[in-house]
Amino acid sequence: MLERVPATARKTILGDDSEDGSLLVVAIAGLTLVATILTFLFTPAYALPMLAVFVAVTAVGWVTYQAEIARLLTLVATVSTVLTVGFITAFLFSSAFPAFVEHGLGLLIIPEGQWFFGLDAVLPVDESYWNPSNDVYSLLPMMWATVIVTVIAIAVAGPLGLFGALFISEVASDRMREFIKPGVEILAGIPSIVYGFIGFQVLNGFIQTSFLDEGASFLIAGIVVGIMALPTVVSVGEDSLSSVPSSMKDGSVAIGATQWQTMKSISIPAAFSGISAAIILGIGRAVGETMAVAAIMAAGVGLANPLFDVFDASATLTSLIATQYGSASESTIDVLFVAGVILFVIVGTMSVASQYIEQQMKKKLKGQQ
Amino acid sequence: MSEGYATENALVQEESDLYDRGLDAAIALTVVSFVLGMITLVKVVGLATSGGALTNFFVTLLAVVIGGVGVVGVFSWAGVIDITSQRVRGIALGGIVDLVVLTALVTVLDVTLATVLGLLLVAQAAIVALAGLASRFELVDTAPNMSAGLLAGGAFGALGLLVGAAVGGTLVGFDSMLWILVALAVGAGLLILTILPREDVGSTLPTALLVGLLGLVVATATIGVGWEWNPNALSGGFTGGAVIPTFVLFGSLLSNWAAAKCRAGFGAPGRQYGAFFVINLNAFMMVSVMATIVVFVTVKGIGYAFHGFTIGAPAALVVLLPLLVLAVNWARKPAGTDAWRTGARQLVRVLPLALVGSLAAVVASVSIRGSALTYPFTYTVQVNRQPKVLDTGISVTPDPTVGALLLTFSALLLFAYFGRAYGTLRGVGRDPSWVDTVKQGVALSVAAMAVLTVVFAVLSPSPFGLPLGGTVGLVVVVLGAVVAGGLSVAAVATPLRGGAGTSLGEGLHDYAQTVVIGLSGALALLTAVVFLEPTAGVNPSVGPADLVPIVALLTAVASVGVSVSAGHARRSAAELRRRVLGEEAVFGLATAAGALALLGVHVAATGANFTVVGLTVGTKGSFSWPMTMQSYVPLGAEPGGILPAIVGTVWLVVGATLFAVPLGVGAAVFLTEYAEQGAFTSLVEIATNALWSTPSVVFGLFGAAFLIPRLGGDRSLLAGMLVLGFMLLPLVLITSREAILAVPDEYRDASAALGVTKWETIRSVVLPAAMPGVITGVILGVGRIAGETAPLILVLGSTLNSSEPIAVLDGFTFTAAPPFVGNPALLAETASLPTQIWAVIAAGVSGSPSMGWATAFILLMVVLAFYAVGIVSRTFFRRKLNYE
Repeated sequence: MLERVPATARKTILGDDSEDGSLLVVAIAGLTLVATILTFLFTPAYALPMLAVFVAVTAVGWVTYQAEIARLLTLVATVSTVLTVGFITAFLFSSAFPAFVEHGLGLLIIPEGQWFFGLDAVLPVDESYWNPSNDVYSLLPMMWATVIVTVIAIAVAGPLGLFGALFISEVASDRMREFIKPGVEILAGIPSIVYGFIGFQVLNGFIQTSFLDEGASFLIAGIVVGIMALPTVVSVGEDSLSSVPSSMKDGSVAIGATQWQTMKSISIPAAFSGISAAIILGIGRAVGETMAVAAIMAAGVGLANPLFDVFDASATLTSLIATQYGSASESTIDVLFVAGVILFVIVGTMSVASQYIEQQMKKKLKGQQ
Repeated sequence: MSEGYATENALVQEESDLYDRGLDAAIALTVVSFVLGMITLVKVVGLATSGGALTNFFVTLLAVVIGGVGVVGVFSWAGVIDITSQRVRGIALGGIVDLVVLTALVTVLDVTLATVLGLLLVAQAAIVALAGLASRFELVDTAPNMSAGLLAGGAFGALGLLVGAAVGGTLVGFDSMLWILVALAVGAGLLILTILPREDVGSTLPTALLVGLLGLVVATATIGVGWEWNPNALSGGFTGGAVIPTFVLFGSLLSNWAAAKCRAGFGAPGRQYGAFFVINLNAFMMVSVMATIVVFVTVKGIGYAFHGFTIGAPAALVVLLPLLVLAVNWARKPAGTDAWRTGARQLVRVLPLALVGSLAAVVASVSIRGSALTYPFTYTVQVNRQPKVLDTGISVTPDPTVGALLLTFSALLLFAYFGRAYGTLRGVGRDPSWVDTVKQGVALSVAAMAVLTVVFAVLSPSPFGLPLGGTVGLVVVVLGAVVAGGLSVAAVATPLRGGAGTSLGEGLHDYAQTVVIGLSGALALLTAVVFLEPTAGVNPSVGPADLVPIVALLTAVASVGVSVSAGHARRSAAELRRRVLGEEAVFGLATAAGALALLGVHVAATGANFTVVGLTVGTKGSFSWPMTMQSYVPLGAEPGGILPAIVGTVWLVVGATLFAVPLGVGAAVFLTEYAEQGAFTSLVEIATNALWSTPSVVFGLFGAAFLIPRLGGDRSLLAGMLVLGFMLLPLVLITSREAILAVPDEYRDASAALGVTKWETIRSVVLPAAMPGVITGVILGVGRIAGETAPLILVLGSTLNSSEPIAVLDGFTFTAAPPFVGNPALLAETASLPTQIWAVIAAGVSGSPSMGWATAFILLMVVLAFYAVGIVSRTFFRRKLNYE
């Protein structure tokens, strides 16, 4: 078994039929690249000269064994994508580790006198829950703020997004679709800071007159984030609705069903898992949204009281990082990395889950299952 | 009764009866109140409006509807468009009738808008209830099902719970638990009322009850304009200003659904009609939200963004040239066959052209009158935390200077356009023996001049102390320019002279080869000369004027001459010759554009202005746009602009693209062409998805932890580039992979069958075929990262009012110690568009909101432009791929 490893590796790197002598060039190029990455990790000053060496070796190889070097380069590109994810994970976790060790459950302090699902039996309760000068950090208020904002956002984006997806995939004429689909894409392209600026300048005034609030609130932030997550839900939902084979819809129409009956009884059930994937992805977007939330709600930290008070305001996990990082002390930064780890894990899980659901659905619709 | 499936076909038209008309009017009424709900929600018109103001508002609304319906009606009556559906006609007429009645009502009665909205809801409820009862008692011919269905029942049950809770809470208070009983009772009641009776009652009565209740609450001012509910438990509360529009939006959506169901006679068609109305209204709302956001930012920011915008009239004409060509191209498209439609479409086709023409005439009149045309407006700046209004304006001045860069840019666009439009003239007309000699001569001299250019560029104009640039260079430049001039004169003179008894068309046809070789040779020589000039440091002049631009102008004039005479001769030529002459005209236009571009390059490279008949092509043009061309001016009379932020964003995008595109495309090639599906590819897929979905702020954290310590320890442009590159990577990878997968396997097979190796196939078959898709993906990805803010705050910082654009190109320094090459500019903080907006927010009261709006406007335009270009190119290439 083991003796096959070098052969497999050689095949992966060089392909099936390689010229003799190419091995040497490719090996040198590969080694210099590994050396470059290592120097960048440990002695960054020497990374640039090392990179120059790699480029030189590759240039020589390009002239002599172009096919092999090209293959190596594409492999390198692939591996660096994986490496990037690896580095992100490794550096996030290692930077957050000190805070985990130091604070432990202290990161989940429940403010005194507040009900939090009866968890005060398990989690520490204290009057001060966010006080960098005393080294007290609780991420619980931000986590709860993220939950509130996400729930409001999905309440906006879910139904509207579903209807929008139905409109684009089933109702709109071809011509209309040609305009609306790019329109939705463009809506997704409006930078979040622009939403944030609108929220900061206009909506905060609106909520003071219309909702008797002093200023920023979860409600407004949630609605804005919902509008931002809407295009994601629409386009993923629309994708899954249009991937329902037309033979299924045709069959339904052929037995005399109206379009709405087809939609309700054929398309939506068949694409159900795809639509749920769209909503999961929308949740992921809402959780990860930073600038709009940071601009609308200031950097204040506090657990909503009572928990369902949508007119309260507090930083979410993302906006906490964005607003606090610049002025944070060493220990605060560690805690911010914990927030980053939480976000990374939650959103990553959601993304992988939605991808999995979508794949399963496509397999099923193709009859492979 | 209802016309069944008569939506498009005139054959099955049928007259509507009173029931149909009434319901069409009701549907129109629900749409009107839905729109009113949206308008009042965003407070365009206050709920407390009454009296004359309210009448005015409704008269305006009436005018809008009459105008819209009227225009469509006129065209429909004239047979230009087909509106045969009785439903569409009914709703349009119903809308007019509704609004006339409403306008009359608000004129007679003294009520507020809130009351009107309440009455609207009550009226809708009444109509819906009446329609349902009429159907139940068989007064009209409908086809209801046995029940409205569980879906509707469930929805009404849930609504009933909510309403019951609200009503119960208000009547008995939330303190006693009685409100839960009320809620349950109402919910169950509505559920039963929906499910048990026949469909016509089951879907109208609950609707009427709910909408009627909402309407009564609003109409009786139980929840009025000044109503407030501020529960102790919450930090905020509800006011009539927010609650009433919500009620109206919701209620009209509900009655819209019910009325549409009634209109289509219940049963399966009824459900279809009802559901489609709700879906369409929802889509309408989404589109309006989107349009509102873009329009709102534009309105808020455009004034500040264009303060002090000035352009000279000739420069404006130069900018209009490419637009003119586009408009002509649009107008040339065929306009259909049917007489009426052709008329209407031709109007649409020529409108842009006419618009460009009038604009050009207005601009030209500025030059002739000699006085500037100004559109004055005011904008607000922040001085000492106080807003201060400044006067400014957009003006077109009679300044005769055209900037060299502007000219070059415009001319290059035209050159590219005509170059693409031009086919070939090979083998047309006579083929004199000297053509090949001239070709070789031009190629040789261009090559020689290129060598000289490189020599001078590397060694300086006077290598080893010998003044070669001033002597050899000068002679070569003069010779090249003179020969180029001769060639272009020959190109136009030979065919025009023709032979005895030959027409203009024949001359142009026979001497086509002379035209082609003359004009393209002149262009090639001029290009070489223009690049040789600055490196040799010479600029020969004839009398007061410079030689090279004169020749360039001469070539342009000669080309236009060829083009115009070919166009003229084409009018009276036979079919085949028409084509040849058409090609020749396009060729002439292309070389004219090329020559003008070279003129611009000459001025920009030598720095010497060129003046002819009062017009000047100058290094510094008459175009001034302070917002994008100036840095912030502290304590100045005018605030200046955001040039540093724009430059910063440009560098960020360039850096990220340089980093991510090779990696992304390479990985895509490996995954699709080399790798076998297996554990490794699925690992890569998971990694890509993880990268794609990771929140942007986490990328910022990663950059701060990983990159910054390794890149000098401080926030820097380079770190920003790399972080954005990491974010761009998955976008490029996913789209490139899709594009490469979309290349048909036949391509690969055909290449392999020819004995081409795998890598050669990838390089010369797969990648070129996939390139459009890859480029589109990159453009869309760039559009997305250009507006990214959160990671930049962490790794780039947010600079407000930066007064110096970052100079990356000048910043490279070489050192003896590693890393040997340094660039302080890359390792410094800089401004960028998104972080600038964040800086305005973070600055609180000292930030200038109007500057923030203007920055947001420009950022939005940049991002939308990327998206527009990406989407258009994708559509274009997709169509091309599908047709092939």
